[in-house]
Parts: sequence; structure tokens; C-alpha cells
Amino acid sequence: MRLPRDPLSVLGAICLAALVLIGLLGPWLPLGDPTAIGAGPRLGWPSLDHPMGLDELGRAFLPRVVDGIGATFLLSGAAVLITAVLGTILGMAAGYLGGLADDLVARGADVLFAFPALLLGLLVAAVMGPGAVSAVAVISAATLPLFIRVVRSVTLGVAGRGFVVTAEVAGASAWRVMLVHILPNVLGAAVVQLTYALSIGMIIESALSFLGLGVQPPDASLGSLLRQGSPYLTIAPHMVIGAGLVLSLAIMSVNLVGDAIRDALEPLRGRPLT
Amino acid sequence: MVEAQELALAYAGGARALDGVTLSVAPGETVAVVGESGSGKTTFGMALGRVLPVGAERVGGRLTVDGVEVFDAAPERLRALRRDTLGFVFQNPMTALDPTMRVGRQLARATGRRAPEAELAALLARARLDEPERVLRAWPHELSGGMAQRVVIAMAIARSPRLLVADEPTASLDASIRDKVMDTLAALSAEAGAALVVLSHDLRLAARRADRIAVMYGGRVAEAGPAGEVFARPAHPYTAALTAAAAGNERPGERLEPIPGTPPALFARCEACAFAPRCPMAIKRCHDERPETRRLAGRDVACHRAEEMLAAPAREAAR
Amino acid sequence: MTAPVVELEEVRVTFGGGLLSRRTTEAVRGVSLAIAPGETLGLVGESGSGKTTLGRVCLGLLRPTSGVMRFGGEPFGRLKDRRGQLSVVLQHPEWALNPRLACGVSVAEPLAILRRGGREAAVTRMLEQVGLEPALARRYPSELSGGQRQRMAIARALITEPRFIVFDEAVSALDVSVQAQVLNLILDLQAAHGFGALFISHDLAATRYACDRIAVMRRGEVVEIGPVERFYATPETAYARELMASVA
Repeated sequence: MRLPRDPLSVLGAICLAALVLIGLLGPWLPLGDPTAIGAGPRLGWPSLDHPMGLDELGRAFLPRVVDGIGATFLLSGAAVLITAVLGTILGMAAGYLGGLADDLVARGADVLFAFPALLLGLLVAAVMGPGAVSAVAVISAATLPLFIRVVRSVTLGVAGRGFVVTAEVAGASAWRVMLVHILPNVLGAAVVQLTYALSIGMIIESALSFLGLGVQPPDASLGSLLRQGSPYLTIAPHMVIGAGLVLSLAIMSVNLVGDAIRDALEPLRGRPLT
Repeated sequence: MVEAQELALAYAGGARALDGVTLSVAPGETVAVVGESGSGKTTFGMALGRVLPVGAERVGGRLTVDGVEVFDAAPERLRALRRDTLGFVFQNPMTALDPTMRVGRQLARATGRRAPEAELAALLARARLDEPERVLRAWPHELSGGMAQRVVIAMAIARSPRLLVADEPTASLDASIRDKVMDTLAALSAEAGAALVVLSHDLRLAARRADRIAVMYGGRVAEAGPAGEVFARPAHPYTAALTAAAAGNERPGERLEPIPGTPPALFARCEACAFAPRCPMAIKRCHDERPETRRLAGRDVACHRAEEMLAAPAREAAR
Repeated sequence: MTAPVVELEEVRVTFGGGLLSRRTTEAVRGVSLAIAPGETLGLVGESGSGKTTLGRVCLGLLRPTSGVMRFGGEPFGRLKDRRGQLSVVLQHPEWALNPRLACGVSVAEPLAILRRGGREAAVTRMLEQVGLEPALARRYPSELSGGQRQRMAIARALITEPRFIVFDEAVSALDVSVQAQVLNLILDLQAAHGFGALFISHDLAATRYACDRIAVMRRGEVVEIGPVERFYATPETAYARELMASVA
């Protein structure tokens, strides 16, 4: 697998690595205390002391954004992990076993797909109460259908190949075929799809938190910070701009890395005629 | 129509696909270029229209198609060549046809003008398709492999090209319709007065349809000559070895003789005979000196011992 | 008189006709044949003739709609119970082996499924028999040529010493010289191991080289079946003679 070296991919990878690192190490970085009320003037503009300004309670905004990055990545990451495991099992079963399993899984995924993510968010929040857990559930539910479709589709392709038929004739059980033969050949497409699911997950999480259905105060995620800053958009836009920029950067870098992985795994470079 | 002189071509990464191909195709002639994987035949076929991947470079010789120097021509001249003079038929008709467009529409586009449906139907009828009107309205995936390939052939000759290049046109088709598809190809190219270059690994197909056969090995033409004679009386040991290894000509109980060793992968000009390591007739000279292509008894052959090959009695027919 | 390895009696296979579709296709219409131990039966026909379907029936991958399939004189039973007794070599060398597994692992897989030990030694032995260097076991399929991959597939097919092997267009995608090598290999291995084989192909030339008897299929039926000598001379039916014409 050759990783692309073009500037955008490298930039995306560096950005993503930096953001993830900051998110992980956040609490230990000397960037200030996100909870210290009154560390500076309320709604203070960005300055050398406080690079992202201060919020309406006088808390330094930069450390809150750092917290937010961590929370956003953590929540979307956890949700995508659930999607990965569940989706892979269901998708392979649907594609390889066919019949009733396929009907159930594929139609179930279609039904789920029909719900807009935010509607799902409202439903889940109504049932489970708003919070991080329900955000994870919603993101997972929203990204699962497409992921299942991709895995199922690749499985269908792999299932007809010579080595699978040979294994069946040799008496391999369905489990063995799926684990040894189908899964390794599905991983490539799955990983690519998962990175896109991650970026979608981050958008959904932000939207939910913006609506107040996701992360609850005093915890912060980038979406809830946007919510926090939006009433003050006209007088103190630095909060919305700060959180918004970081969110955009995070989503874009995930997408760029996803593209890079896809290009590395499936180099379908168009051949320009010489 | 086609004049290749010591054409040498390398891909990005250095792999030398063609190592001095000398071949000519007269207008209206059908030439079968025969060879195994790695012989360079596909590269040569694609080079005729310069349909090559990025990074492929001509590293020697010249190629002239219909008077145009393919590797030196300006882009517009080259595009005009591909559009008006050349037609390509590839191995897999399903990838050559656009799955999102009905056949009729693709065929109309191939003609390059607003051809009336009657004309398109007539074209398909000439391609030996039954119910041309139904085929025009069909989607590509509704056609069988043989039908799809005939549509592709019809599209290729839609603009009356003067040179048709077919790369393994029947390899992915059933044995039963291969004949029909080859008939279509031969007939349509004859009607258009086009020269036809067929690239194939199928010796029997080549022998039956072509005026001349060129056998390629190691990026060069080992031998080229009239179809009826090349296999019956080979001038090059590789041709002889190939016919000895091909099933179909043996007697019951006779053993097929595979050619020992593997074809070479070249990265530089081969300064000896590329076939020498596997050749039953190799002498010291073959390992030291690159054989030049010479004309001998109506053949073009690149072998130091071609005279002895030709002097040997012709192989008797199998039955 | 030992029982034939595989025996088909009035086998019919009909597709379609499920809950939602009324259209049915008869892929195989009443075929009876028998393959003796150590014998190779060729199955020649065009696509749509039903030869591939018949091959799948012989492998136990498909249950006939009617008729009987016997293996070694007994009813076939379940594929699970027949593990190791039969195997297959398929057409496309590029998909014959799992691209994500080392070749040696692929070749040893039938033994792994049977939970037998001594796999490494068995793989080395088989690779030598098919004319491949044992060191190639560590390589991945993408590093091998088409002919080498097909030989790996044959090694895998033989590793459990099966009684029956189906070769489904096994040499069709190979170059002339490589095809000759593989055909010779199949002949030699059968002489050494004594398995019964079904050689399915559209290529009559390759088939008659490799087989003892040939069955010609057309539209689901066997129109002619006879010793291979007949197919070097003149077959009985007009259809078979048509197929012969393409060999000349």
C-alpha cells in the first residue's frame, strides 16, 4: 500500500494528527484552565494572554476548545467503532449468507437510512435523554446503513471468487469463510468508508450538541461551544469563529486522510492518453 | 498503412515493453500479431494510437500510421488520427460500452453525427445482429457477450476507419460465438477497406483469419510472414516451439512440449537473442549477438539460424 | 468391479420458480454418467450448455432438482461429511488464491479445515510435485505468474489426497506454453495419485489431450459421450463434429 505524497494528503494527515494529539493531551497542556470562571474579562476578545478570547463567564476559550476537540473526536470515534464492528458483521452476513439474513439486514438498513440523522437524534434523545451516550447512539445509527451497504456490496463481489468457492468445496464452515477469506478482503473498502463515517459523525455530533441534545454543560464539545457562542455572535464572534474554524479543520482533515487511504488502496488513476 | 521501424518503448519504472519492433501493415491487409503474455503485443497494438499509460516513453525507432509519425505528431494531429483513422476493439465488451446509455445512443455518438435510426439499424445488421431495432433500444447489460462485442465492432467502424486494432477480441467470449464475431470483424473491416490488426494468443484463430502473421517475443517480432506458412514452416525456433506446445495438433497419445523457462522481462535493449536461453537451437552466437530482422523467402525473421529452420521439412498436418 | 467415484442418474437441475418468480430455467435435463476411479471425463460444451451447473452438482455445491448423485457408490450426503474427499480447480488464476494470505497458507487450508497436522511438510511435498519451489510458499499470490498460481491451486486441490477433482476451465486463461505445462502436470499427477476427474472446458483441443472419455453437452443434455479416440477422428453427432471444426 503506497501512501499518496501529494501536498493535500500530507497536510490533511498532519492536521489530523495534530488535532488528535491536542485532543488527547489537552488536560496536560499548559493552555489554561477551562473551568476557571473569571480568569479574564467576560466576552473578552482574543489577546496574547487568551489566544481565543474568553466566554460569557470569563473562562478562557482556548482550553475549552481543546476540551471540545477531545470530546468531539472521542464521541464520534466511539460511535464509528460501534458502527465498524456491528456493520462489518451484519454486512458480511447479508452479503455472504444471502437469503433471509440478507433480506432482514438490507431492508432494516434501508429503513434506518430513511431517517434523517437529526430526526433520529430527537427520537433517541427523547427516549434516552440528551447526553454523550445518546449522541454516540445516534451517530452510530446514522452511519450504520451506508456502511452495511458498502460491506455487503464488497462481500458480494468477493464471495464469488475462486478462492471462496474452493474453500467451500473443501468443507469450510460459513464462519471460517467469512473470517479468513471475506473479512481481509473487505477491510480496505471498510476502512475508507469508516473515515468518511467519522467526518459525518463529527458533523452529526456537533449538530446534536448545538441543539442541546448532545454533550451537556459543563462538558464541552465543539458543537456545544458553537451553541454557547452563538447568542453573542454579533458582539463577541470570536467564540463561534474559534470553535467553527477548529471544527471545519477537523472535518476537512479527516476527509483528506480518507481520500488518501482510498487512493492508496484503490489506485484507479485515470490514464490520460500520452 | 502502418510502418514500425525498430520501435522501442519503455514504461515508467523502466520495464521495456517493446525492444525494436519492425513491422509493416499494408492498407486493407489483415495481420495477426501473436504472442504470449509479456511478448509486447498489447503494447504494440496500443502504441498504434499512442494509447499508452502516463510515463510510457518511446526510447527508440519510429512508428508511422497512415503517414502520421505517432510519437512525434502534435496533439491535434494525433487526436485526428485516433478519431478518423483508427478504430479499437478491446477484449471485454462490457467495459467498452457505457452501462448508463442505451446501445442506440452510443452507436449514434460513435458515428459522430446525427445518424438516422435506419442507418444505425443497417450498421448493426451488417454486424450480423438479429433484430437490430431491439438491440438499438437495449441497455448494454441486456446483451450477451457476443452481441455486445459485435456492437463494439460496429461502433469501431462507424467512422470508416482505415485501421482497426482488435486486442483479443474473442478471448472473453464463448467458443461457439467466436467464429461469428470474428466473421463480423473480418467482414466489416473488409467492407470499410480497413487494415485489421488482431492481437491474439490464439494461434488457430490467427492462422484462419489473417493474411499475415507476426509472432512476437521479448518485445520484438520474431518472425512475420504469410499466414498459411508461418505455422506450417516456421523460420524461427520460437514459432516452432509454440506450435509444438499448442494442443490441437498432436496425435493421440503424443505429448505436448511446453517451452522450458519463462519469457524475459527486459529493462534495457537486449544485446543478444531474447529467446536464446530457452531455444533448442541456440548456438554461441545467439547468446552474444542480437539478430537483425532480415527478409528470407518472403518472411521477416530475426534469427541467426533462420535458413536452417526453413530448410527443415514442413510439419505434417495433424490428420 | 469398484464403484464409480461419481455417478449421476437422470439428474435434472431447474432454476427459478421460487416464491416470486414463475419463470424457470432447466439447466440440466436428465443427465446420467459415471466416472471411474483414475479416469478423467471431459465435459465439453458452450456456455449455457449446463456444463458448469453439472460440475457444481458433482461437487455437492448444488442439489439436483431430481435424480440421484452418488459418490463412491453411496448417496452424497452433506458436503461437510465429504471434506477432503473432493476438490476443485477453477478458471481464473488471479482469484484462485486469497490475495491476503501467503500461498503456503492457502495450499494448506484444506488440511486446516480437517484439523490435520503436519501441514508444512505436506505443503512442501505438494509444491515439489507440482513443480514449484517450496520457497514460493511464503510469497503472496500477487508475486506469482498465472501459471504458478494455477499450480498452487492444483497443489491445494491434491493436498488431502481426494478421490475426485473437478477442473473447471482450469487452463483456459493460460498462455499456450503454460497451458501445456499444466495439462501435462494434470496427466502426471493423475497417473501418480489415481483420482477420478471431471475436466470441464469449452476448448475441445485441450480437453481431448487430458481426458480418457469425453461427454458433449448441449442445452442441458449430453448429446454424445465416448472414448477420446473418437474425438481425434470423427465423432458421431453433427454437433460434436461442429465443435471439432474449431480445433483444426
